Amino acid sequence: MGGKVTCTLGEVKNRADFIVYWGGNPAECHPRHFTKYTLMQKSPFLPRGRKDRTMVLVDIRETKSAKASNIFLQVRPGKDFELITLLRAMIKDQPISEAQVAETGLTIEQLQDFVSRMKAAKYGVFFFGMGLSMTRGKHMNSAALLTLAAEMNAFTKFVAMPMRGHGNVTGADVIMRWQTGYPFGISFNRGYPRYNPGEFSTVDVLVRGDTDCAFIIGADPGATMPQPAIDHLAKVPTIVLDPHVTHTSKLARVHITTAPAGISAPGTAYRMDEIPLPLRPALKSPYPSDEEVVRRIKEALLEKPDWMGERPQMLQNQI
Amino acid sequence: MDLKVIDHATCTFCGCVCDDIQLHADDERIHQAKKACVLGKAWFLNHTAERKYPDALIDGKEATVDEAIAAAAEHLYQADMPLVYGMSNTTCEAQRECVEMADHLGGLLDSHTSL
Repeated sequence: MGGKVTCTLGEVKNRADFIVYWGGNPAECHPRHFTKYTLMQKSPFLPRGRKDRTMVLVDIRETKSAKASNIFLQVRPGKDFELITLLRAMIKDQPISEAQVAETGLTIEQLQDFVSRMKAAKYGVFFFGMGLSMTRGKHMNSAALLTLAAEMNAFTKFVAMPMRGHGNVTGADVIMRWQTGYPFGISFNRGYPRYNPGEFSTVDVLVRGDTDCAFIIGADPGATMPQPAIDHLAKVPTIVLDPHVTHTSKLARVHITTAPAGISAPGTAYRMDEIPLPLRPALKSPYPSDEEVVRRIKEALLEKPDWMGERPQMLQNQI
Repeated sequence: MDLKVIDHATCTFCGCVCDDIQLHADDERIHQAKKACVLGKAWFLNHTAERKYPDALIDGKEATVDEAIAAAAEHLYQADMPLVYGMSNTTCEAQRECVEMADHLGGLLDSHTSL
């Protein structure tokens, strides 16, 4: 689980009576999250369903999710870390100043009410989205919220879970963790895996121009990344595997069309709570699957003379 | 044309990965995605089994998959610091192959998570 204090969505569905969405808009981005897991379901522990649960939304603007919430806390943009730090102090009855509270855009009464509700909960959950993890502070914000969840366990059961975006991005974390010990931002250039986000994370690598060939699968950086990164992708030989001809395919040297996963390619995908689920494709595709194409490229590479000579560690022994 | 019904289909559009979808499909396309949300319906109904794009493109020109695989392997082999990136909209099985390939290449490996 990568060290998080977390749980599965099944536990949330059956037990969570205090649900906090932080920097996310599930009403529009994860439409079935409320009905399947967090709000509407009844269980032996929460027999009245929605009435037994309290939902708090913390966000910088009043999104559609605010309508579903009991309490909406509008935090000033970029002040999430400050707010979480104040909450961490308040649960332990440490002194805080009015100026510090005013900085977050909330009132001391709102924070006191939030803290007493957190402590009174039987099972609390923080769901945090990209509004927390992709704004000022980035992974420090996520780390602070995970720490708050861990510290709340001195008073009651509390967990945290990231609201993951598209498809199998959770699976990528899990597979990389399984194979290398690290979830992303990995370099194998010394023959063994090393982890250093900021140095080995893709945006930074591309902006610095530190790669001379890019293999892109199941992603479209040409539509999402900053311009200097895209410029570098256009400069080096880029290879794209995608069911569609994407923005990235247009600046790539090689594009291979593959069958879309879950529609016409079978396999496994991970849910955001790290539960693996089998895919049941409905259609037959005229294109090969990602798995087949990557394996064939890998086999073609294995036929060439090995550039590294003696290999200190071989990951395929684990496969 | 046969209409088949697939129960407990899995939707991979968002991180919820709902696995209770009922799909009604023929050979060409999916006609109905019961229980799916707005995003899931669009995801299932917008994909078809037709050959919409060329099998592969090399430098913008149509090519066969075999040629494209050979070209991709050559580009990766010639590189000093190749990067393997993405792995969001794909299966765990393909991700595993990507990790092994990056390991063999001695390159960089990264996903959407770092963005």
